[in-house]
Amino acid sequence: MKRPTRIDAEEKLVLTANCLLDGHIVWLDQEGRWCSSIAHAAMFEPDTIDAALEKAKAHAQLDEVVGIYDVVVRPGPPLRPVSVRENIRAFGPTVHPQFSKEIER
Amino acid sequence: MNAPVGHYQYDSVDRAFLQSRIDEFADQVARRIDGSLTEDEFKPLRLMNGLYLQLHAYMLRIAVPYGILDARQMRKLSSIARRYDRDYGHFTTRQNLQFNWIKLEDTPAILRELAEVDMHAIQTSGNCIRNVTSDEFAGAAADELVDPRVHAEILRQWSTLHPEFTFLPRKFKIAISGSPHDRVAARFHDIGILTRPGPNGPLFRIFVGGGMGRTPLVGQEIFDSVREEELLATLEAILRVYNAHGRRDNIYKARIKILVQALGIDAYREAVQAELSQMDLARYRLTPEIVEAIRARFAVPNLHAPDNASEIFLADQKRDRKFARWVQSNTHLHRAPGHIIAVVSIKPAGGIPGDATSEQMSRLADLAEQYSFGELRVTHLQNIVLGHVRQDKLYALWQELEKIDLAAPNHSLIGDIIACPGLDYCSLANSRSIPIAQKLSARFANADLQSEIGKLSINISGCINACGHHHAGNIGLLGVDKRGEEFFQITLGGRADEKAAIGSILGASLPEDEMVDAIARIVDRYLAIRGPGESFLDTLSRLGDAPFKEAAYEIA
Ligand code: HEM
Ligand code: SF4
Repeated sequence: MKRPTRIDAEEKLVLTANCLLDGHIVWLDQEGRWCSSIAHAAMFEPDTIDAALEKAKAHAQLDEVVGIYDVVVRPGPPLRPVSVRENIRAFGPTVHPQFSKEIER
Repeated sequence: MNAPVGHYQYDSVDRAFLQSRIDEFADQVARRIDGSLTEDEFKPLRLMNGLYLQLHAYMLRIAVPYGILDARQMRKLSSIARRYDRDYGHFTTRQNLQFNWIKLEDTPAILRELAEVDMHAIQTSGNCIRNVTSDEFAGAAADELVDPRVHAEILRQWSTLHPEFTFLPRKFKIAISGSPHDRVAARFHDIGILTRPGPNGPLFRIFVGGGMGRTPLVGQEIFDSVREEELLATLEAILRVYNAHGRRDNIYKARIKILVQALGIDAYREAVQAELSQMDLARYRLTPEIVEAIRARFAVPNLHAPDNASEIFLADQKRDRKFARWVQSNTHLHRAPGHIIAVVSIKPAGGIPGDATSEQMSRLADLAEQYSFGELRVTHLQNIVLGHVRQDKLYALWQELEKIDLAAPNHSLIGDIIACPGLDYCSLANSRSIPIAQKLSARFANADLQSEIGKLSINISGCINACGHHHAGNIGLLGVDKRGEEFFQITLGGRADEKAAIGSILGASLPEDEMVDAIARIVDRYLAIRGPGESFLDTLSRLGDAPFKEAAYEIA
């Protein structure tokens, strides 16, 4: 899944996954919990991301998440992923505004 | 209600099998949730049951064998959409249906509900023989030579859980048609079959090695006239050669098309003949008795129309110009007097191609019962067909379709766009397909303009897997990724019919937000330069792509 993306100086990394039970997209927050809003995602520097990824993967089954990987973001506010793909994951399909993550919550 | 026509009636063996399969999967889901199965272990198991993990949720793909549904099944799909999804379903180019917002924990319950109406999600994924597709006008079209559904059903039974072909090098897709007009894209399938009558029963012309994806290839004829009794043996032999020699080391080279290309069609044919010569042919013989027994499990519609049905139909068209235009684009001649085939476009102007709400699905089920013997067909252009409508009742049907926003007069016209789910849903995508389809269909919404432009297919895929069949579109759009940004490559000249061809790339890819204008300029240029009666493809082959290239890349 992970796509190689160059990371610029002002950019950071966050961790994302899908919930095991319903497939919904989640982001790792500062307390190490998976939350549904990217706004609460914990930001990592490139030199700390691998350790965070390893740790999260080790807990994946207990946390009931699958497919953990890192995403490049611009800190904002608002915090937004750099790629179109990750923006769609973070904020919902562009073709069904009624399913946007903002409205879900 | 009339008895459902058009598909095979399950028996207790079929039903018992489905129940045990669901029990098995329910157990696997439970073990995944409690952690005894890892995702790596579970993934192949869920895929065998049609369950994918997409961008936002799980996606469940449900098989519609040769595209035929009865009203009771459509109603069930509607209720699943309402209860377990977000109130809609998506009809696909492989005549199936996908739900985009499914929960893993709900899937066993959904599969049980589907089994109540003899439906399932088996062989909609994975490296097996997938759901066999067929002509959406089967058993109804005036131009049909042989009704392909009986043989499609035989292929379904032969391929379902075939022990030797459960782990093929790659997925395997078969389509069958019985009309000289190829409405199944036979030459773009792993195996495409065209049947016609012979002196002693039907004959089968077989193409192999067609496909799209990264390496688009038009299928080649391997046999011209296979007799009915040898049909299964021949297919078995074609698959055995592939199963034995297809590449398993490289996913991009694993489809049969690559093997056929590597060996050459003549060597492939020889290998199949060698295989046939050592097979126990009696075991695979398709006798007239077997065929008749299957045929007997299909209910036949009682096609009886009043003598003045056609007169009433003509008068309705004279009275209502809007109806007449819909008739012109969205109907097809029926074999029986006083009847007609109606194509219900699931492509309203500005809408998402193939998406239907639960309300639309349940109304379609009602209308099928009222007007077409309770039978519906999903088409490979993501539309729905009511196959046997009385001509004197078509006007009433059309008025009902208008009320549920399913009367767009655009079948085979520029509004009838095929688009894959693209980046809005698909985890493999580079670009979004649906928004471009929506913008184009809104731009060309005017029915007079569409009918003036005439037959023109636009096909959009969000990545090189080509689920939107962009290679076969008269105008094809392929999403490409440029550092996380959405771009599209344009191809021109593709077609999936009996003159199947792969579109040629027009030039450098363009950013997403320039696509709609670029396509509109290509269409405008065609209207300006076409000769009398010339279709888009005619003009393209007369003048080449230079004028269109100039139009597409014109700096606005
Ligand atoms: C959203 C989830 C989907 C995923 C992950 C997916 C994935 C794929 C992949 C990986 C391939 C290429 C296989 C190969 O070349 O060996 C493929 C091909 C194909 N897909 Fe999909 N697909 C999806 C949805 C759809 C939908 C919604 C349709 C119909 C509208 C569709 C129709 C097709 C067709 C017809 C092909 C065959 C192209 C060929 O001949 O190679 N797919 N798909
Ligand atoms: S063509 Fe690509 S983007 Fe579109 S559905 Fe298929 S795999 Fe996804």
